[in-house]
Amino acid sequence: MRWLLGVVIASALLAVRAVSAGEWSVRVQDDAHRPVGDAVATLIPDAPLPAPAPRAPAATKIVDQKDETFVPYVQVLRPGDAVVFRNSDATRHHVYSFSAVKSFEFVLAPGEKSEPLMLDKPGIAAVGCNIHDHMLTYLYVSDAPNIGVSGPDGVIGFPSLPPGRYTLRVWHPQLHPGRAELTQVVQISDNVSAPPLSVTLPLLPDPRTRMDREHMEY
Amino acid sequence: MKRRVRAALMLIALVAIPLANAQDITVHAYLDARLVAAPDMTSWTRGGVGKTRYGTADDGLRFGGAAVAIAIQATPSWLAFADVQYQTTDRSTLDVIEAYLRYRPVSTTPWRASVKVGAFMPPVSLENDGVGWTSPWTLTPSAINSWVGEELRAIGAQGQLEWRGKRQTLALSGALFKDNDPTGTLLADRGWSVSDLTYGMGSKLRVPDAYARVFGDPDHTRYNPFQEIDGRWGWYANLAWQAPGYGQVQLMRYDNRADPAAHTVYEGSADVFAWHTYFWSLGARTDTGAVTWIAQAMDGGTRIDPVPGLGVETRFRSAFLLVGWNLGAWRPALRVEHFSTGKRVNGSPTGRGESGNAVTAALNWRPRAWLRVTGEVLRVIGDRSELKALGLPTHFAQTQMQLSARLLY
Repeated sequence: MRWLLGVVIASALLAVRAVSAGEWSVRVQDDAHRPVGDAVATLIPDAPLPAPAPRAPAATKIVDQKDETFVPYVQVLRPGDAVVFRNSDATRHHVYSFSAVKSFEFVLAPGEKSEPLMLDKPGIAAVGCNIHDHMLTYLYVSDAPNIGVSGPDGVIGFPSLPPGRYTLRVWHPQLHPGRAELTQVVQISDNVSAPPLSVTLPLLPDPRTRMDREHMEY
Repeated sequence: MKRRVRAALMLIALVAIPLANAQDITVHAYLDARLVAAPDMTSWTRGGVGKTRYGTADDGLRFGGAAVAIAIQATPSWLAFADVQYQTTDRSTLDVIEAYLRYRPVSTTPWRASVKVGAFMPPVSLENDGVGWTSPWTLTPSAINSWVGEELRAIGAQGQLEWRGKRQTLALSGALFKDNDPTGTLLADRGWSVSDLTYGMGSKLRVPDAYARVFGDPDHTRYNPFQEIDGRWGWYANLAWQAPGYGQVQLMRYDNRADPAAHTVYEGSADVFAWHTYFWSLGARTDTGAVTWIAQAMDGGTRIDPVPGLGVETRFRSAFLLVGWNLGAWRPALRVEHFSTGKRVNGSPTGRGESGNAVTAALNWRPRAWLRVTGEVLRVIGDRSELKALGLPTHFAQTQMQLSARLLY
């Protein structure tokens, strides 16, 4: 019954979900109950864990450009990680960002890769292409101990969560600007077989409208 | 003017093409054929006073038009763009709707500046953003954007400054232009139309034959709307606001600053005037779920002083509301609009003008990316008291039906 105790002591302002330790997942859906990909969930323990997981070594992540689309739409990085932009299109791209996290620009010829770009502080950087305004991607830089991105099925898995009380935050690029991201307190118990937590995000339409044969938008 | 457009196209070819890789050249095109059930009133495109593109003798299979738009990304900052169309309504013409060079360097701040030089559409329309100034919602654009497609073009330079915030984007653009002195002629002589016949540089517009017989030169009913007569620069300024989740709003002021007393000889006719044309335009667009709403209003005037001491001004107004449903391959759209003109002489209303309403219902079907099939019914109804002086009935009530197949590339 430790999970029940967790519920009782939860914050009065935030809803608390009690779930089991071990394998746990969040299922993200939109208002129409369709699974939402590219949502980022972070779980931050309210109290320091007795044995925090060792910090992973810095990694280099790839953001590709295919069919005038950045792939992936959202790339998660840790502070100290680097990103490489790769142009897999047959046309030139001009990748840039003016975000507070990092401002940069790369002109990439077809088949070319950028130099690794190190991101050293947490935050979200919107990245565009100055040639193709409809191209958009996000670099989500976070030092949260537990972080994941939803796939097309809307599921974000957290493989081995120690028991404890966490603050869950779920972000998506199409959340209404200026509105707070979804925040919820969850209590992880040492029971097993907890069902996934379903969260619903009201999303704006996808802004990555490609240049259609009926919309030129130059 | 033709020489300037030709020079602009040559400049684009000389500057842009050698700098661009083949992969940086984008081509889009359309080809349209349609079945037409036309109203029994001679269309303005045949010298009549009918408001629609098609009228008497236009029933049957028609060539709707074709256009090719080429964009050349010469360097990461320089874009060359040209939109060329072929039309057979009115008369066969191959003409240039837009041809310009754009310089837009990257900015790693929220501010981004760009400059456009050449011949281009002022950013009036929230309807027409397709190849050949077409609309994805209906075959026939609103009366406002029908007129823009007929007579409005800027040949000059436009500067734009954007501020891109997290919640909203603001864009202020301003242009100095020439070669648009006769704009307004049609609104005064013919009134508004609801027609998708766009004119480019190289084509000539036609005033109603009956008007030319009574007030003008019956042997010369055509004029080039894109010519310079008085040597003055015109200007426009446009402020656009866009916010995700809310939509966009844009406000424009246009003034061609034409000298209303200036006129020129054109193909033997001495009555092509510089019409001093000015207007405000306010447009907005928003989405509620799968439904898109577009509204626009225009209020302005156009004036000539045909003889010293005589100022003839036509005030014009129009507004529309369009609602479109984005249902995947199906895209129904409905538009209602009102339009009017009123003539004043030396500032005093004459009681002459027009007032009308139009309803357009269209059903678009995109079974393939390269095919659009559209069925459209357009009803225009109103009165044009101006026609009394020409000995014509003043009431008009027209229904035009079209079934179009449009190939898209």
